[in-house]
Amino acid sequence: MKKLCLLILVLGIFRPVSGAEERDAQTIIRDAIDHWRGLSSYTEMTMVIHRPDWERSMTMRAWTKGQDQSLVRIVEPRKDRGNGTLIDHNNMWLYSPKINRVIKVPSSMMGQSWMGSDFSNKDIARTDEIVNEYEHSILGVEIIDGVTVYEIESVPLEDAAIVWGKEVLRIRADHVILRHSFFDQDGELVKVLETVEIAEMGGRIIAKRQRMSKVDRPQEWTEISVIFVAYEVEFHDNLFTQFSLRNPRD
Amino acid sequence: MRLFGVLFRLAWRNLWRNHRRTTIMLCAIAVGVWAMIFMTALTRGMVDQMIIEGIRTLPGHVQIHNPKFLDDPSISNPVSISAQQSFDDPEIVAWSSRVKVPAVISSERESRGITLLGIDPVAERHISFIKYDEVDGRFLVDSDDKGIVIGAKLANILETEIGKRVVIMSQDPDNDIADRGFRVVGLYTASTGAVEEAYAFVGRATVQKMLRIGNQTTEVVFVGDDYRDVEALYEVILDAVDDSVSVQRWYETNTYLGSMLNVMDGFVVVWIIVIFLALSFGLVNTLMMAVFERVREIGLMLALGMKPGSILGQILIESMLLLLIGLVAGNMLAWATVMSLQGGIDVSVVAEGLEMFGAASVLYPKLNVDDMILASKVVLVLGFLASLSPAWRASRYKPVEALAKVG
Repeated sequence: MKKLCLLILVLGIFRPVSGAEERDAQTIIRDAIDHWRGLSSYTEMTMVIHRPDWERSMTMRAWTKGQDQSLVRIVEPRKDRGNGTLIDHNNMWLYSPKINRVIKVPSSMMGQSWMGSDFSNKDIARTDEIVNEYEHSILGVEIIDGVTVYEIESVPLEDAAIVWGKEVLRIRADHVILRHSFFDQDGELVKVLETVEIAEMGGRIIAKRQRMSKVDRPQEWTEISVIFVAYEVEFHDNLFTQFSLRNPRD
Repeated sequence: MRLFGVLFRLAWRNLWRNHRRTTIMLCAIAVGVWAMIFMTALTRGMVDQMIIEGIRTLPGHVQIHNPKFLDDPSISNPVSISAQQSFDDPEIVAWSSRVKVPAVISSERESRGITLLGIDPVAERHISFIKYDEVDGRFLVDSDDKGIVIGAKLANILETEIGKRVVIMSQDPDNDIADRGFRVVGLYTASTGAVEEAYAFVGRATVQKMLRIGNQTTEVVFVGDDYRDVEALYEVILDAVDDSVSVQRWYETNTYLGSMLNVMDGFVVVWIIVIFLALSFGLVNTLMMAVFERVREIGLMLALGMKPGSILGQILIESMLLLLIGLVAGNMLAWATVMSLQGGIDVSVVAEGLEMFGAASVLYPKLNVDDMILASKVVLVLGFLASLSPAWRASRYKPVEALAKVG
């Protein structure tokens, strides 16, 4: 799930650049991702999906390694226990213990919602490749409560597989992403991923609670809160395989 | 022959003795025949359009595929004929090779499943249902074009427009995701919204690069002179390729359209007969009346030595005259109606319903000489049979009884 957030959060970044300003924007985003993810991470988190007439909450565990591999497994509620998502490079698989099958998520389903949340499968499966498909620039620098905050605009390249017109990130100097806004091609705000709570966890200051919401449906949102996180953890080599997706060892 | 002359004259005069009744009957026949022919022309026109459009949107007249593509239309089943191979035969009017894959198109707000067609716009010009100059914006220029042309309705659903970017997602042969952003350069309109929603066009080379398939394509399409006669074209292509690919005629690729054509012929006959059945009651009734009115007269003619066969003939001639005049009037009426509606009938009020079976919202009636002949034949033959009974009765009167009848 970590990765999920990360990836979503992150979306931005860098082509080889010449301007000093642009290199700065690139570095800021790159550092923010590395800070959030580490070389490897283990996270426990809850996800709350809120709708006007119902609310649902899930607890899950997530493992990430490097830029391309992650595994998410649901712990609570009981009936969903064991459901998992594996991301290895650009591919995504789902496992459901009820049908005892690993399903590869086809491209036609990548646009659909991930486990009923406001995140799409595509949001989750994004890897750093996508990061190369934007052009970044610093819009402004502010000092809020004594901390420097950079506002960075990322515009997708012409042939990038990204529907947004632009994305705007607000990143603190200590690498916490405060806000990630998605704009359509008319420059209208469509959805926002906002950091609601910041805390020190696993030895780093990170966004503890983040909320994704769509502008035209303010009553609906998905919130992810980190309960526990550990960085630079050693994993078994087989963790990010379909076998391990199907046969949880924890 | 002289006898026939006399009978014909008698019949003709009898016909106009009660001219009001005759006129009404003539009107009934004319309107009936008109309905038969006009409605048939209308349906024919509709089916014709469906087929022509269907052939344009999908199959061409003859297609080549990988045999497995038909069961699994994915990029893993490319056709082994390269785009470079040329086909040269007088039967082939135009041909083109395409990459046709299922894909997902997304804008900021919506995504939809579509059929993505990677085409060479130059070769496709005479095959495609899109008239390039009528496209809003512009159509693709060449196979390397980086733009995408989508249907106006799809653009509406996606809330996108010319100049904006959309993302196309599909799979490469290894089942990995292949995606790319495209800028919408043109919006096409088709006769039905279903088509506009279903197909998006991109440059063939661009999509080949996106799908990482080199120069492979998934289908080759050929167009001949006339969709009704594709056998010659089929043979030519069958000879030109080897066994590794499957060659199909349009009605095999799109069996719905194929059976449509057959159903149509049956439908025309049924339709004509149904109308005739309604008509025949009026016809028989009119003849009956004509006979009953003239019982004494018929008795007199019999008494004077006219043979029953001649009475029968006279009544039949009367009925045939009635039918013939009605047919001529009805045919002309139908012809005039169809001619006056050459510009098409706008039925957009019920367009949504028509779309369900793939018909357009403007109908162009199509007059078919065979249908006119068929209708006329049916009316004459069945009319003859229907009038046999009153005629037979008239010829069987006994002169004495008939003369004694008070009428």
